[in-house]
Amino acid sequence: MPAIRNHGLVLFFGAIFLATIVGQAAVGQDDFNHGQLAHHNDPVSLTRYVTSSDFWVDVLENWQSEYLQFTLFVVATVWLLQRGSPESKELDKAGTESDEEQRVGSQADERSPRWARVGGWRTRIYSNSLLLVMAGIWIASWLAQSVTGRIAYNAEQFDHHQAAVSWTVYVGTSDFWNRTLQNWQSEFLAVGSMAVLAIYLRQRGSPESKPVGAPHEATGVEG
Amino acid sequence: MPSIRFHTPLAIAFASAALALAGCGRGDDVATAQSVAERFFSALQSGDGGQACAQLSPDARAELESQEERSCREAVTELQLEGGRVVRVEVYVTNAKIDLSSGEATFLDQGEEGWRLSAVGCKAEDGSPADHPYDCELQA
Repeated sequence: MPAIRNHGLVLFFGAIFLATIVGQAAVGQDDFNHGQLAHHNDPVSLTRYVTSSDFWVDVLENWQSEYLQFTLFVVATVWLLQRGSPESKELDKAGTESDEEQRVGSQADERSPRWARVGGWRTRIYSNSLLLVMAGIWIASWLAQSVTGRIAYNAEQFDHHQAAVSWTVYVGTSDFWNRTLQNWQSEFLAVGSMAVLAIYLRQRGSPESKPVGAPHEATGVEG
Repeated sequence: MPSIRFHTPLAIAFASAALALAGCGRGDDVATAQSVAERFFSALQSGDGGQACAQLSPDARAELESQEERSCREAVTELQLEGGRVVRVEVYVTNAKIDLSSGEATFLDQGEEGWRLSAVGCKAEDGSPADHPYDCELQA
């Protein structure tokens, strides 16, 4: 089936995303209820849990860091280079490159996306659309993490007979920044290590790797 | 109809997220928590220990009985509480706090019996009440 073959990557990752978020809901509910019982509170149903801030802050703190990772990776690889890495452009290609190289405006052809051909503000926006969307999703999910995180945090505050905090106070708490930074460090480590490991290691057939026989110093080539 | 197959799971996800984002105080929970607190103080005013105890959580009742070595209905009417009218209700998930006009606060949990008082006669100690637990006349 050509449709499945041509969209296999999206279908595969979409399927395992759904499977893992369902799994997260199940084990998350169990973990939450374990805490409820320890605090002499009553357990909640799965429906109650997946509509709770406790579930969604756990989801959103991961989503925002993934989209931050892509945001930074997209923008960093415009200007920053890594000799020998397939994740990097070639060493003489730093920057936004020429219209001819990017095939925009008069350099576009009939198969180019319309906003790449028309020029003006549309082309400027389209030329940065990947960054804009990734950054937008990152900011939106980070904001949502802060809102749901504050709700879950304040529930814990009340459980300990302490006062609730405002959103402004919450985004300065160690709870918010612990959730944020523990995710950021792993994302940055993953990207950095991928950029380095791919200099010396190979995976035959993957576009994330250089060809098996490519020299270590070859930069910006894909397998 | 492919569009419905794709849109329905997304719609459920967004609805769940919207409920979670609004989870800081669903209208029913706010009203119910307030009613429980008002019934408690009204019962105390009229000397109805049974009704007052019915508004306490099982752990709060047990703590009172253990503390006073008497039944809840006898001990509850002798708690040193200032009470007052409700001036603010805050609900977060299954926990609530109600501020009274006297300056005291009460805390509630949502359990099997519904919303019940887990701590009454609570006053903020020195320092930020967000950093230090309230000092309560009765707490579970």
